[in-house]
Amino acid sequence: MAGTLPGLLWLGFILSGLLGLGRTFVVEHENDCWEALLLAPGDKSAIYVGKLAGNLLLMLAVEAILVVLFGLFFNLDLAGVLPGLAVVIVLGTVAFAAVGTLFAAMTAQVRARELLFPVLLLPVQAPVLLATVKATEAVLLGEPLGSVAHWLKLLAAADVVYVAVGVLTFDFVLEG
Amino acid sequence: MVRVVGGVTLAALAAGLVMGFGVAPREATQGNVQRIMYLHVPSVWVAYLAFAVVLAASIAYLARRAEAADRLAHASAEVGVLFTGLTIATGSIWGKPTWGTWWTWDARLTSVSILFVMYLGYLLLRGMIEDRERGARYAAVLGIVAAFNIPLVHFSVYWWRTLHQPPSLMKPGPGTMPGIIVAALLVNFVAFSLLYVYFVAKRVGLLRREAEAAL
Amino acid sequence: MADHWGFVLAAYGLAAVVLLAYWRWLVARDRELQGAARSRVAPVSGHPRSEHASRHPVQ
Repeated sequence: MAGTLPGLLWLGFILSGLLGLGRTFVVEHENDCWEALLLAPGDKSAIYVGKLAGNLLLMLAVEAILVVLFGLFFNLDLAGVLPGLAVVIVLGTVAFAAVGTLFAAMTAQVRARELLFPVLLLPVQAPVLLATVKATEAVLLGEPLGSVAHWLKLLAAADVVYVAVGVLTFDFVLEG
Repeated sequence: MVRVVGGVTLAALAAGLVMGFGVAPREATQGNVQRIMYLHVPSVWVAYLAFAVVLAASIAYLARRAEAADRLAHASAEVGVLFTGLTIATGSIWGKPTWGTWWTWDARLTSVSILFVMYLGYLLLRGMIEDRERGARYAAVLGIVAAFNIPLVHFSVYWWRTLHQPPSLMKPGPGTMPGIIVAALLVNFVAFSLLYVYFVAKRVGLLRREAEAAL
Repeated sequence: MADHWGFVLAAYGLAAVVLLAYWRWLVARDRELQGAARSRVAPVSGHPRSEHASRHPVQ
């Protein structure tokens, strides 16, 4: 049972993320503000960073709640592992939100958005999920973060790549 | 011109078969079933080639908005998915007699499966956006994200599979293999690459004429 | 040690079938588009309207 806990935790994070991230630009669509976004002057990447920051805060808040519930239901002593866990969760969530925000913009106008968004996001996030689950596993076992340094480096690299690509390509997504 | 490529491709494929079955020796540990490798490995190399072209064409499209670049990306992704699917299928068929199971989450099969689903999503995105220009732009962005993701997929899957488990039987790459086997692999790789070029050339032509017909 | 030629045949056979099928689809689409292009060119080759106008200038 204990072996499946990291996977279960991240499954919970992903599911909530899919629901929340997918709707990032729906509010603009529903309120006819999409064209306003397209016409906004200046660098559209600022919109991306803003949306990303918002999504990040939201996801981290949900994750914090889920971690507490997890500790409660599975009787885990999280006090000692919390800092390490926090590092892994933040690194993983940045990657998830970075790609999620970009893909949300691209699928906002598609009719089958709720279907296409996860289909696009999940395969891309596979390496991030492997890394976070492995790192979480080690942290929950009480191992030091140094033992999973390679996973953390992969997550950090993913974060940099995804945010950079998002910032650089968002202009092309929000064009007329 | 395309016909010439087609003819040369056919000859190369024949040469590949000769190398794989006639020239290459019977492998010591696995027996003749190892000859599937001359199909499986060149397939995956061509798939990577295809996705590299998708990356280049995607960047070119965003930079210059050339329709030709968009068509190249589309065609290359399609042929890439074809070869990726073939890699998975042949890997599975190779695995059954070798490992006793049709599927195993070993490093290569897992990475290739993730690649398959990623680029299948790419084709799906293209199919689901009606506006041609927006579809081209979005596909280009996705093509770039997917390509940058490939090394991440590789490392994560390889570490996941090998850090606490012995590496799979199918070691990637020709590093420690005898020359004649490497030669057979290379001949088949060239043949498959020519097939890729032929398929992409025809597909791009079709896309161009479909676009002209729609005007 | 068994050679499992059946599996070798299955793998190469599957590859042949898939690649052949794709090639046939490409060729079929090609012919379809050629046919469509030809049928579009035919009726436009004459210019009935302009001929009519030249015979009946504005009165």
